[in-house]
Amino acid sequence: MARFITIGERIHCISPTIKKAMEEMNPEPILKRAKEQIACGATYLDVNIGPAEKNGEELMKWAVQLIQSECNNIPLCLDTSNLKAIEAGISVYNRTNGKPIVNSADAADRLNRIDVAAANDAICIALCAQQGIPSNNDERMEYCQIMLEKGMELGMDPSDLWFDPLFLVIKGNQDKQMDVLDFIKQLSDMGFNSTGGLSNVSNMAPNELRPIMDSVTVAMAMYNGLTSAIVNPCDKRLMETIKTADIIKNEMMYADSYLEL
Amino acid sequence: MAFKRTPQVFNCSMNEVTFGTGAKAVTIGGENVYPLYTFDGPIKNKVAIGVEITDDGFDASVPGIAEFYAGCDSIGAIAKRASEMPGADFVVLTLEGADPNGKNKSVDECAAIAKEVADAIDCPLAVQGCKNIEKDTELFSKVSEVCAGKNILIVSARQEDYKTIAASAVMAYGQKMSAESAVDINLAKQLNVLISQMGIAPENCVQNVGSAAAGYGFEYVASTLDRVVGAALTQNDGMLQMPIVTPVGGESWVVKESTASEADVPEWGNREERGIEMEVSTAAACIIGGSNAVFMRHPEAVKTISNLVNALM
Repeated sequence: MARFITIGERIHCISPTIKKAMEEMNPEPILKRAKEQIACGATYLDVNIGPAEKNGEELMKWAVQLIQSECNNIPLCLDTSNLKAIEAGISVYNRTNGKPIVNSADAADRLNRIDVAAANDAICIALCAQQGIPSNNDERMEYCQIMLEKGMELGMDPSDLWFDPLFLVIKGNQDKQMDVLDFIKQLSDMGFNSTGGLSNVSNMAPNELRPIMDSVTVAMAMYNGLTSAIVNPCDKRLMETIKTADIIKNEMMYADSYLEL
Repeated sequence: MAFKRTPQVFNCSMNEVTFGTGAKAVTIGGENVYPLYTFDGPIKNKVAIGVEITDDGFDASVPGIAEFYAGCDSIGAIAKRASEMPGADFVVLTLEGADPNGKNKSVDECAAIAKEVADAIDCPLAVQGCKNIEKDTELFSKVSEVCAGKNILIVSARQEDYKTIAASAVMAYGQKMSAESAVDINLAKQLNVLISQMGIAPENCVQNVGSAAAGYGFEYVASTLDRVVGAALTQNDGMLQMPIVTPVGGESWVVKESTASEADVPEWGNREERGIEMEVSTAAACIIGGSNAVFMRHPEAVKTISNLVNALM
């Protein structure tokens, strides 16, 4: 076991500021968000450049080098549907503080992301889904096995596949929440690493509710063995919840100032 | 199937701290394997042994020790002799005479003694206080000032006085400091956090997480050492990666096994031998637990532990 890994989600081209910065290759807004997230305690940073069909390779290389050179080689999660862009990003990636993460494979069209991860000694987020949202945990497990087999065939260490159970928005999917948590427990019982887009759970909820919804979900998921999540590290309540759960799980030694670490 | 051994080498390590100057400067810490686990990987720096003297010279209650220091007519001469003890890496000066409830020597007098000791030896110096918080705070500032440039180790800062000691000893005079807690892992970490938050760099701070003579609650010391080293290496806890220093001599030579006379307990045998065995057992147990430096008194005990360290590291 180890301390929970947080992957900061705020460098994402869905944000107009970041989208513009990526179009113009303007370092400032990207570095600002990188440094904010690191200051808040993010372990990894996700770099989502969108589909980036035209200049994906150039853009990902630029982003990886920019962020790592300015932020003490923070480990990164390379996030785009453009496979060539991920490969290009890995080619300039500095591994001092951790392997790159490929975000993400699934058990259908994106299964080949696992090939890229295997060929480059990278971690791969493995979405337990094919088309759309899996309807139950049997399906999730089937997809998990497909991706596991693929990775093992390619000689990957199973610990480098971080299975994503697919967190679902609570509003409208209340009846599915315990399933997701149960699936995390199944992954954990099998000794697998796991991660997922935590903020999904509070989508469409008022902003003032999102921190408590995310925090309680992550605490329940960590109890069930979730090892990582893609989060907004600037959410203080969430980060304090994660640190406290790590203390309760004895993954970090208690000291009165533990929330400041 | 043949047994395949996997070395347990961690991808993080204890910090390295150097005190003293010149060829005899001592560096402790830096290991990325468990204590004495040389079969997993090389231990970066050997355990260092400090020889304890006091502002009054040496601990005359320790049998056999007067012979070792025979002919020394000044604190400087005693310090020099201590530095030449076979197995010694550095000298530890304990300013116990500063205690307001004891001899209450003035800060200036103690600082002068520290200066004389520092000037007399060519190996590093560690300075311990008198355990009185107010007096130690003043004392450590003055000693750090008069020993400027010697890169001495100040032992120790506690929760009550770490701010002043960090500011004077380390920030103003460039010395090294030790953070002291009493067999309390959470407090040990907390004190290290507070000292780090003052801006003290990892290479300037060691930790003394508590001490006891073997058989006198040592299991608490042992479990504290285990947990400090365990969290430092397995959890990569940067707030517990300070090298560990443990005063051993003072604990070992005050328990009944070391003090009871042969006349009182003839069945226990020779008192000096018993005391040496207590000091050796305690120091060895601390080293097994992860101490990177031990403070000792008796020449025979120092020699024995030095042989042990050289044989195992």
